[in-house]
Amino acid sequence: MRGGADHSRSGSLQGFDAQILALFRQQPTGFVSGEELSRDLGISRTAVWKHIKALRELGYQIEAIPSQGYRLVAAPDLLTAAELAAGLATIRIGRRFVCFKETASTNQVAFKLAEEGAEEGTVVVAEAQHSGKGRLGRHWQSPAGVNLYCSIIIRPPILPFNAPQLTFLTAVAVARAVEQSTTLKPRIKWPNDVLVNGRKVAGLLNEMSAETEGVNFVVLGIGVNINMRREQFPADLRHPATSLFLEGGKEVGRAIFVRALLTALDGLYDLYLNGGYAAIREEWLTRCNVTGKMVSVSFHDRTMTGVVVGVDDIGALLLELPDGRVERVLAGDVTIL
Amino acid sequence: MDIKDLKSLIKMVTETDISEFELENSEEKIRIKRGGAPEVVHYSAPQQVYAMPQGAPQFAAPAMQAAPGAAEAPAVEEKGKAITSPIVGTFYHAPAPDAPPYVTVGQVVEKGQVLCIVEAMKLMNEIEAEFRCKILKLCKENAHPVEYGDPLFIVEPL
Repeated sequence: MRGGADHSRSGSLQGFDAQILALFRQQPTGFVSGEELSRDLGISRTAVWKHIKALRELGYQIEAIPSQGYRLVAAPDLLTAAELAAGLATIRIGRRFVCFKETASTNQVAFKLAEEGAEEGTVVVAEAQHSGKGRLGRHWQSPAGVNLYCSIIIRPPILPFNAPQLTFLTAVAVARAVEQSTTLKPRIKWPNDVLVNGRKVAGLLNEMSAETEGVNFVVLGIGVNINMRREQFPADLRHPATSLFLEGGKEVGRAIFVRALLTALDGLYDLYLNGGYAAIREEWLTRCNVTGKMVSVSFHDRTMTGVVVGVDDIGALLLELPDGRVERVLAGDVTIL
Repeated sequence: MDIKDLKSLIKMVTETDISEFELENSEEKIRIKRGGAPEVVHYSAPQQVYAMPQGAPQFAAPAMQAAPGAAEAPAVEEKGKAITSPIVGTFYHAPAPDAPPYVTVGQVVEKGQVLCIVEAMKLMNEIEAEFRCKILKLCKENAHPVEYGDPLFIVEPL
């Protein structure tokens, strides 16, 4: 198992709690006696009992049978380091988890950790954000316990002008994770929103620290509406939004979704580092399917309408305006007409 | 015009009684203004357009060689050093449309302070000052496109 838990920040799962869960998971069908737990963890039987009690308060169903011991019956859908790292087999992404019950913004935390030298593959996750952000200071609605808010630190050995290519990695990874954990058919809206039935389920925002000659790090910010209910969406959203639950009619296990996402991202990142950008761009283009469409692009204080005649190497939209000019679009809100 | 020529031009102008001097040709425009306030040099560099590299990502060697075509920083730490854009994108002078700008002309900024954001494909690149400096000029308008290597600011290293 990879992914060292960062217990000091978690607030919800202390070191021994995580170790007890790991011991249970090594014997998924059997019992672990209080004596074994006490011996393996090097703590008293009373302390073991206190930790079991704490885990139960977090929602873990732990059965206790005299003379047999304790058994994990069911785990709550928590986004803790112990849950996320369980069974995750990745090369780079998820080497370390930093989990919060609530934070201002996972991108903000990840950026700060990266500045302080956090290693590549560090994943920052929060159950809730009180200042979740989108592009240009926009707010990202982040209610507790239902969605995914995470930010991943990578340190690719690339030149800064190639970094916009990374936008495709997360978009494709989210689309793959949605396909894997639901029966839904996700689409990518240029450049990297993920839509289901025309409504937004995921928003991605990447932030880079770079110098002229190299990238220090990139924070891949990923917000996915997983089990959010209708009444949890604000009325004044810029674009129609939805959740995997609302579209599929079924709750989706968040920890399972996160592992699928991190696994997909890890594979794509490995491919990218080994010269596979063209293949990733190809998958993104297929999922995005914007060429030939009539779109309107609103940007800053103006709106342009035209036909997408292509997507250039870095992914910019080539928009043919009514007067025949072709405008290169690198940023903006795109609506397919 | 290189920094050395600019320096001798400033020297020449300041040795006379001229209060304002302007020179313009097809490539650049130089304006030197004198008065009660400290001298201000406005320098509009020509639009530099670099071709984007095509194809697969170019990996930097472990030693991180300089980006091809990157604007050469003047060796002499003099008035009028350009801070250039490391990526093609859109320039923003503030973190949000209704927020105050990161920096204004005349402001002294510390090393590591954020000067602006350049966005490309939902990748936000905060451009930081790599040294303590004074902002002499903002080269780009808010929400306007920038090319790779375009000057974003002219600063005076302090």
